[in-house]
Amino acid sequence: MERAIVEVPPGGSSCKSSRVLAIEAVSVRKVYRGFLGRGAGQRALAGLDIAIPKGTAFGLIGLNGAGKTTFIKIMLGVVRPTEGSVRVLGGDPEDPKVRARIGYLPERLFLTNAFTPRQFLASVARMKGLSLGADAIANQLDRVGLSDAQTRKIGGFSKGMRQRLGLAGALLGEPELLILDEPTDGVDPLGRAEIRKLLTEERARGATLFLNSHLLSETERVCDRIGILAGGRLVREGALLDLCGSDTAYRARFAPGADVAELGRLGFRAAEGGREDFRVEAATPQVLNEKLDQARRAGALLVGLSHDLRDLEDVLAEALAPSAAASREGEAPPGSLRPSGGSAPGAAPEVVS
Amino acid sequence: MKAALTVAADLLREAASRRWFLALGIGITTALVVLGFALRLEVVDGALAATRLFGREVRTDIRSVEIALRFVYRAAAYVLFYGGLVFGIVACADFGPSLLAPGRIEHLLSLPVRRYELLLGTFLGVLALSLLGAIYGAGGFTLIFAIKTGYWTLRPVAAALLASVTFAGIYGAMLTAAVALRSAALSAAVGVVLFVLGIIAGYRDRLDTFFEAGWAREAFRGFTFVLPRVSALADASADIAASAAVKPEVLASQVVGLLVFGFAALALGIHLFEQKDF
Repeated sequence: MERAIVEVPPGGSSCKSSRVLAIEAVSVRKVYRGFLGRGAGQRALAGLDIAIPKGTAFGLIGLNGAGKTTFIKIMLGVVRPTEGSVRVLGGDPEDPKVRARIGYLPERLFLTNAFTPRQFLASVARMKGLSLGADAIANQLDRVGLSDAQTRKIGGFSKGMRQRLGLAGALLGEPELLILDEPTDGVDPLGRAEIRKLLTEERARGATLFLNSHLLSETERVCDRIGILAGGRLVREGALLDLCGSDTAYRARFAPGADVAELGRLGFRAAEGGREDFRVEAATPQVLNEKLDQARRAGALLVGLSHDLRDLEDVLAEALAPSAAASREGEAPPGSLRPSGGSAPGAAPEVVS
Repeated sequence: MKAALTVAADLLREAASRRWFLALGIGITTALVVLGFALRLEVVDGALAATRLFGREVRTDIRSVEIALRFVYRAAAYVLFYGGLVFGIVACADFGPSLLAPGRIEHLLSLPVRRYELLLGTFLGVLALSLLGAIYGAGGFTLIFAIKTGYWTLRPVAAALLASVTFAGIYGAMLTAAVALRSAALSAAVGVVLFVLGIIAGYRDRLDTFFEAGWAREAFRGFTFVLPRVSALADASADIAASAAVKPEVLASQVVGLLVFGFAALALGIHLFEQKDF
């Protein structure tokens, strides 16, 4: 596992490459100014380095206060870094020409209740300098599943509908970079699937995706690269398979009736998720096949085999373990692990953006 | 600049759905309709011979229409000036904080818009709103009296436009307060304080005699020097409406002072806005 999981060295992200970068942040620090304001003097980012190539679907995860939203705002020029530099699509985030190529969905988009979806999208289009006709706006609303609500006032919309509308606004003008902060928040399961499909279409078009979501399963499904932020730093970053998977761990499923004790003797350990699922370590394909042959000789019938991928939740908990230890000792840095209220000891940490 | 106009247009659309402005529109329309139907003016050879309101005769001397309407237009100008200012301060206090609402400002700033355009657009939107209200109210009022008496003048409309410009000066400071601390209450409080201090500043030449000559009087004069002369502008507005003599150079200096105050406040607001994290 040591080889698979990429620890980020201080001063640089592991995925810096010769590829064209969509987002590049170097030693970004942010301390909020002021004396009396909420969050004044708070350190949100403590030397963040990240490089995200164009065309990537990148998911940023971390606990409350890790600095995720601050970093998103810095990428958009809404918040200015105290130190360090950020380049988005090769330019300054505050340059309107750069921002014209970005689509953004905030975590809690404020929508004017008096507007209809058409009016909202028309306003966003004007701001983006797009000349969209009524048909183009109708198509965009149709794309996010709001075609039946085109002329309704936004004031009567559910949270999910508002989220869909915000996404429609972000997708206007086919942006090169999509920055989405909790895009499926409040959306029903079928709606989430629709949004995932939309995001897949956007990626196929060539758009870079930057996703911040506390729904880790959602992040796993959509993103191919993951970054874990803690205490204002990127503590792990890499391809999803590198972070969650292993070249030597496999998950085998046998037909019911297999001799569990005999399988255990051969190195097959019962895995979570099903009584017929077993986890096995094999350094090479040859070793794997030998073990499977032995299991078959012992009467077990193989019905499924795959690489054993850990949940992103496990990866997150592992990445934040040092912070958790510090928290228990009362030395928690900003963004450190905070167990969710009322959860049992050892339960998964609360992951909220 | 196109983005600023988009922000202003959106603000007008938003205002059209707000209860305050719906009430204002309905109130002005109702007042005009009632005035149109309930007021009867009998004009004979250019003189106002009789006035009936809801069928009852209003005791007035017979005098020329022009003279008779001067009193009406003067009173209307004062009502529109002070009433419009108070209404505008209360009803428009929320536009700045609403622009800066979490979830909205991040979204707006993520669009290809310069920060100053957002604030300028809000200011222009409120200015347009006050101009539309003034033109609708004063225009309708003047039109009704013109049709009923045959005396046509645009002076009451010009007086109402002066009230709008005065409000714009005060609103510049209100918007800046909203940027400094996102609060509709603070924005309204700044407007009310400026309104009251502006009335005092307008009569500063008369009021400074209450202070002993020396530092106290100079401090009063220095403090009121920078404030918009609200009461003096109200008097000028009434004079314009009533066709009374107005000293152009005095009015010009008051309007220029008001504009300098308003633009300085707005420039400070834009500066704060440019520096701020959201």
